[in-house]
Amino acid sequence: MNESITIENLSKYYNNFLALDNLSLKVKRNEDVALVGPNGAGKTTALKILCGLLRPSSGTAYINSINVIEERERALSEVGAIVETPEFYPFLTPNETLSYLGRLRGMNGHELKSRINEVLKLVKLDEWGNVRIEKFSRGMKQRLALAQALLHDPPILILDEPTLGLDPRGMVEMREVLKEARKEKTVFFASHLLAEVAQVCDKVALIDHGRLLVYDSIARLKRKYRTSLEGVYLKLTEGAI
Amino acid sequence: MNTEFEKLKIVTKYELLKQFRRKRFYGALIITIIAQVLAIALYKGLNIPGALPNPLPDSPKLFALFITSVGLSIPILFAVFFAGDSITSEFEHKTGYLLFPNPVKKGTIVVGKYIACFLATAVILISAYVVSVIALVGIYRQLPVETWGSLGLSVVLACSVLSLAFLFSSLLKGGMGATIATLLTFMLVLPIISSSLSYSGHEPWFMLDYAGDSIASVYGIPFAEMFGGMGMRATTPDPTVSFFVMLAYFAFPFILSIWVTKRREML
Repeated sequence: MNESITIENLSKYYNNFLALDNLSLKVKRNEDVALVGPNGAGKTTALKILCGLLRPSSGTAYINSINVIEERERALSEVGAIVETPEFYPFLTPNETLSYLGRLRGMNGHELKSRINEVLKLVKLDEWGNVRIEKFSRGMKQRLALAQALLHDPPILILDEPTLGLDPRGMVEMREVLKEARKEKTVFFASHLLAEVAQVCDKVALIDHGRLLVYDSIARLKRKYRTSLEGVYLKLTEGAI
Repeated sequence: MNTEFEKLKIVTKYELLKQFRRKRFYGALIITIIAQVLAIALYKGLNIPGALPNPLPDSPKLFALFITSVGLSIPILFAVFFAGDSITSEFEHKTGYLLFPNPVKKGTIVVGKYIACFLATAVILISAYVVSVIALVGIYRQLPVETWGSLGLSVVLACSVLSLAFLFSSLLKGGMGATIATLLTFMLVLPIISSSLSYSGHEPWFMLDYAGDSIASVYGIPFAEMFGGMGMRATTPDPTVSFFVMLAYFAFPFILSIWVTKRREML
């Protein structure tokens, strides 16, 4: 199979509220796809199901052809993820946190230590490796979240608003990291920032009320609707809250 | 890739590190030791054996009963504080977004957390026990063999109280709620039921709080009579029966907490 991520007829109810409505889409290997849509469109719900944090009401999802619902642990072994704004254990340091998560993924010894140094340097937290996370700002935690997602060098990145809480410099640096990552990884990320999406991704999946409105390359969408990505977004989500 | 057992060791290690990094662990340790020393001082200073409603001659067993009842009960209450937020904090404080998308079974995470809470409690229990042993050997030059039984039963009681706390932690939204619910259950609800059963002439052998009294009854001193009816109960629990009762209270809530956590979603 050539798909890294397959979502098949995914629906999710929160009590009576339908958050995802028969959503289906496929992300090919090494593609970079942004999931965009208004608030409450179902972006985070879709990513949470992919990361095994929620069970769908119906439908299923696959990562590298492995069913996430039935074989959660195996499916997640090749995924690095940031979901919502993750919190960290305040009593641990970044080195300890990354060591914990790295070991859970089978890394250890010198390989783990040097990879921790590498990713902390990448997210500009190398001088904070031994400081307890309780002292960290939101932006620093977001950087650390990216570090843990990249730690095991996964072929698939699933990211929910990865630049949330970052200062302008942090946003630029995060985008650079993602641009670098997209060369050899599948990146599937949710964002509200269309300018960011245009810089990092080739394709967008626009959803609203849990339904897929359009899924195509940014270039083709711009040509088809004869407007910018923002224009496409506004046109297709007209009437949305 | 690691086996589930290797992952369990990793989860336990880092959960234990988290417990040891918290001030409450050291607070619990200090309070337990102070309470233990105070119990020893009160026993000797107030001549407790002679001051009992039905006075008894002082003996190493009576001394051990008195101080282990205090010293081994307090850590069990602290166990509730260690375990109360153990599972629910992953949901309440959103750390689950970090931990759960890893290739590790939720059951492994719960078991690892449990072992870490147990080990933290065991450190305090054993510290209290060491103080008891030092006092017994220092004052009476002997160590009644029943103190080992008392320690063993308090370990099983700690396991069952931890299980109860884990069950509430898996069910409730907040750590504070889970802690209070466990304390209320263990210190209020269960004793009310046990006392009601006792009053109506039924021995509440199947109640956790009653079974927990086996920490003291293992010394073979009928403490219900010793207090001359000041206590609520006319009977003392059988240590062997109590052991199995506590084991049941350990197993069922713990298995249930794993099942609930597996089904719980990160909303």
